[in-house]
Amino acid sequence: MTYDLIIVGAGPAGMTSAIYSARQKLKTLIISKDFGGQMAQKAVEIENYPGFEKVTGLDLISKMEKQVRDVDIVREKVLEIKKEDDIFILKTESEKVFQSKVVIIATGAEPRRLNVTGETDYLGRGVSYCSTCDGPLFKNKEIAIIGGGDAGFETAIFMKNYASKIYILEYGESVKASLDNQKKAEGIEIITSAQLKEIKGDNFVNQIVFDRLGKEETLDVKGVFIQAGYVPETSFLEDLVELNERKEIVVDFETFETKTKGLFAVGDVNCGKVKQIVVACGQGAVAVINGYKYI
Amino acid sequence: MARIRLFTTPICPYCFSLKKFLEEKGIEVEEIDVSENEIALEEMIKETEQTTVPVLDIDGEFLVGFDRKKICEILKIEE
Repeated sequence: MTYDLIIVGAGPAGMTSAIYSARQKLKTLIISKDFGGQMAQKAVEIENYPGFEKVTGLDLISKMEKQVRDVDIVREKVLEIKKEDDIFILKTESEKVFQSKVVIIATGAEPRRLNVTGETDYLGRGVSYCSTCDGPLFKNKEIAIIGGGDAGFETAIFMKNYASKIYILEYGESVKASLDNQKKAEGIEIITSAQLKEIKGDNFVNQIVFDRLGKEETLDVKGVFIQAGYVPETSFLEDLVELNERKEIVVDFETFETKTKGLFAVGDVNCGKVKQIVVACGQGAVAVINGYKYI
Repeated sequence: MARIRLFTTPICPYCFSLKKFLEEKGIEVEEIDVSENEIALEEMIKETEQTTVPVLDIDGEFLVGFDRKKICEILKIEE
């Protein structure tokens, strides 16, 4: 069977695409291992999505999922996409093959790795990229958050519920988080001009080493939460798309179509500069309307 | 029937995905919120030597994360 439209990824952009696609009566499939994308991992409540004064990312994505009707769902990762004779062929990790006339890429982005010594060795043993998952395991422990942007500060605000002491290490001379987040993070120790060099420990993390203004310093911590930005998830697309210098998919901002006809990219995976939930949703709707016209 | 325990934390999205997957496969699990259960947390860390969730315990075999292939293999269910 050939689908009219396959959506790869199930964050806010992908879920909105699914809602719109089903309403257009298109035979639709969502393929995504996880639902919610970065939104579901948000450490603090969302306060800027219309209709909700405050809502957690997980609640919001659950509501979106409930709103999706008459759409097939496959909870797997897509490993490969090809286009043959105007039909897209998608292969998943369990080697299932699906076909579609239109594909919308809504895979979002993955946390950026720092590639410092110890980061991989201690992953899951003190090092984490998901504070909403692992944060509660660090009750009454000292932790460090790497990254002084909004994600880092939101992690710190969330971790105030659990950790006994929280440090934020920021590479730059000043933090980049919003003033509102900085205010909410009161009591957290912020160290600027700090470049993480190494994560140390025995079986589990017990120390980080960083460079500060040319001097090596250490902190004894049990947890290291890395919040140093995101990298778009595009590895499976090969030459079907053009990527910019940040590895984001280049799209036409009228339609969200990529350089391949019938292949669209929406949300954080594309080259749009404004990465917001409401923007991702809007792009999902626009892409489906243009995908419908393409069919 | 296998005794299956799922170690989770309250707003962990991967725990939610794994729970949903098991539900869809008709697999019954006992969910344990380790943020509220220190004994279970210690057991989980001891068995896995990891401080991350989700963790699935299938009759004493502990699996860290959402390893779909391995879970299906052990439970003898279709992917």
